[in-house]
Amino acid sequence: MSGTLRQVGIDIQESEENRALIDAIKQDNPDLTVRHLPGLVKVQSSGQIVINRETVESHLGREWETGEFQLAIVSYAGNFSEWDDDQIIVKWEH
Amino acid sequence: MQYELRYQVLEPKRQSYQNVIDRFGDQPASRYLEATLDVEPRENFHYRPTWAQDRELYDARFSALRLTDPYSFTDPRQYYYTPYVTSRAAMHDEFGKSLGYLEDRNLLARLPEGWRAVLGSVIVPLRHLESGAQLVSVAGARFAHGTSIEQCCTYAAFDRIGNAQMLSRVGIAVGTGTDEVLVTAKREWLDAAHLQPLRRLIEEIMIVEDWAEGVLAVDHLDKLVYPLLYTALDEAALLSGAGSYSLIAQHFASWFTNQRRWLDALQTVWQADPENGAANTAHLDRIATTWRDRALEAVEPLAVVIDKQVPEAGAVAALEGLR
Repeated sequence: MSGTLRQVGIDIQESEENRALIDAIKQDNPDLTVRHLPGLVKVQSSGQIVINRETVESHLGREWETGEFQLAIVSYAGNFSEWDDDQIIVKWEH
Repeated sequence: MQYELRYQVLEPKRQSYQNVIDRFGDQPASRYLEATLDVEPRENFHYRPTWAQDRELYDARFSALRLTDPYSFTDPRQYYYTPYVTSRAAMHDEFGKSLGYLEDRNLLARLPEGWRAVLGSVIVPLRHLESGAQLVSVAGARFAHGTSIEQCCTYAAFDRIGNAQMLSRVGIAVGTGTDEVLVTAKREWLDAAHLQPLRRLIEEIMIVEDWAEGVLAVDHLDKLVYPLLYTALDEAALLSGAGSYSLIAQHFASWFTNQRRWLDALQTVWQADPENGAANTAHLDRIATTWRDRALEAVEPLAVVIDKQVPEAGAVAALEGLR
């Protein structure tokens, strides 16, 4: 396999709540690219995207369960290699 | 025949209000920020208050604790009207359910004698303390500089009414639907020796000129009252056959955790302020030395009374641990 990192991406529905979520993802993934489409925000990063519950909570101002992420996803590219109470990691594993 | 669906994007001319754009650039901002930033007037005041000729109507000088930009503090809970009301409605619903359960089974009236006395002579009278704390928060709501701080004080004031109401409902439930316990609690608050230091303290805090000092003085008191009565005593209650007290106490303990979030954040921001940080830290230290010991003196008699009624409660020892 080549050494280049493949892109992973998540499409998130654009809404008031999800804006805070996207800000949190931006904060935890410095090389994230964000594209706005009508009603949809595509975030992409090479290698992996990490979502931390604590960061999301600090942006959202309330408690947040990682399960709520389900409600925000429209589509994704990559595997959810980790999805526990504190962290979600999307990356290619193969 | 085929239709081709194409979308056309209409970019909004601006993503947010100008004052928000000035701070963060032209990007969508949260409702909390839009409803909070720069709402309190800062200029074009017509008249000075007749009762303070050297101040503007809204003036940073109402407190010794100041921020270079009052909006360097934002509420970590991001409460504006809707989220605040929703969260408190949920909290009082939960409390209502707990209390409903206790009332249905008449559990409060059947508490062990000692615990019943503690509720009647220590816990329920504290609704008058909440009432005093409410006035102090209202002063903050009026005089704080910057909507982000003022807003937190407003909600804290409403919370105090809510807490007092929860205590009243407990009192009514203990008195099996009569006001008997509330009437004795009021008498206790006015006359009983163990409550007088506390009453004196909250009444003195009510007349503190500096709103921030008042709010923090109440907080120093809260830091003893809430962990002692609603956390330490909660555990003791579970172990000594007063589980119904625990059902009530949990709601006050969780309110206190919520209250801590904005107050702790505000104190951190005060200390970290680039221009006023050092002065603020000095003021905060002075406020702590002035009020912490007085709070301890005021709460000690409560702990003694609790231990007298329920020897296994260990309130005095618990208070020692909070020192």
